[in-house]
Amino acid sequence: MSLHFPYTLVPMPYAVVSLGGRWSRPRPLITVSLIGPTSAHSIDGRLDTGADDTIFPERLAAVIGADLTVAPRGQATTADMTPISVRYAHVTLRLTDGKERCEWPAWVGFSPRIRRPLLGFAGFLQFFTATFHGDREQIELTINGLYPGT
Amino acid sequence: MASAAESFRELALSGANNMNPNGEKLEPPDLSHYEENRSKFPPEELLKYAGKFVAFSPDGLRIVASGDSWEELDADLEAKGIHFSQVVSSYLCPGDVSCI
Repeated sequence: MSLHFPYTLVPMPYAVVSLGGRWSRPRPLITVSLIGPTSAHSIDGRLDTGADDTIFPERLAAVIGADLTVAPRGQATTADMTPISVRYAHVTLRLTDGKERCEWPAWVGFSPRIRRPLLGFAGFLQFFTATFHGDREQIELTINGLYPGT
Repeated sequence: MASAAESFRELALSGANNMNPNGEKLEPPDLSHYEENRSKFPPEELLKYAGKFVAFSPDGLRIVASGDSWEELDADLEAKGIHFSQVVSSYLCPGDVSCI
C-alpha cells in the first residue's frame, strides 16, 4: 500500500533566490492523526529523515488523554543542538491521502519545545519506504515489512 | 481566576470533554479531502497567518481559528465552540525565513 502526498507550498513574501526566484517553498508537511486513550487530534507535521524520533508538541498529550506523569523520559537535540526534554507515550497514528488509509501503534515523544511535529524514524519512517520526488514535489510512502498496523 | 485557555486545558486534562455524549472516544474527522484542498489554499490568505498557530477545517478549505500560541489557538476554538478533535492544527512558519 502506498500513499501519495503533495509537498505543501508555503507562500513567501519575497522571491526565493535559492529556488530560482519562485515565491513559494515546497515543504514535506503531511497531516497525521494522533489517537490516544480518550480523544484524537489531527495536526500537520514535517517529514524529517534526519530526526531520530517522532515528536509532538506536549500539549497534545493532554488533549488525547495520554498520561505523561509516569512516561519514559529522554533528551533530544534540535538542529541547532539545543537540548530539549522528551517524554514518550504509546499512541496510535493514522494517515490518509484521501485514497488509502493506514493506522499503526507507535511510541512517540512529546516535548514542550516543539511547535510543529517532527515525523522522524522511530514510530513513523521506520515503517515506510519514503520517496521524495523533488521533480514532482510529491512524497510517496509505501508500507514496509515492519509496518505493525492495519 | 483561570483564563479561558487554562480552563479549556483543565477540561482536556480531565478527559471530560473528550468524549461524545455517549461516553465514547471522539475519533478524528474525515480527512479524505484535506490534502487536496489544503494544497489549493490561497497563498495570499496563508501569508496573513505566517508565524501563527491555526486550525483548518477537516476539508482543508477554511482556517477556523488561530492564535499566537497553542494556548491561544485552544482558547479561540473553545470560544467558537469547536472541539479540538474536529480540526487540523498547524503552525505556519514565518514567511520571511527558511527552515533548516
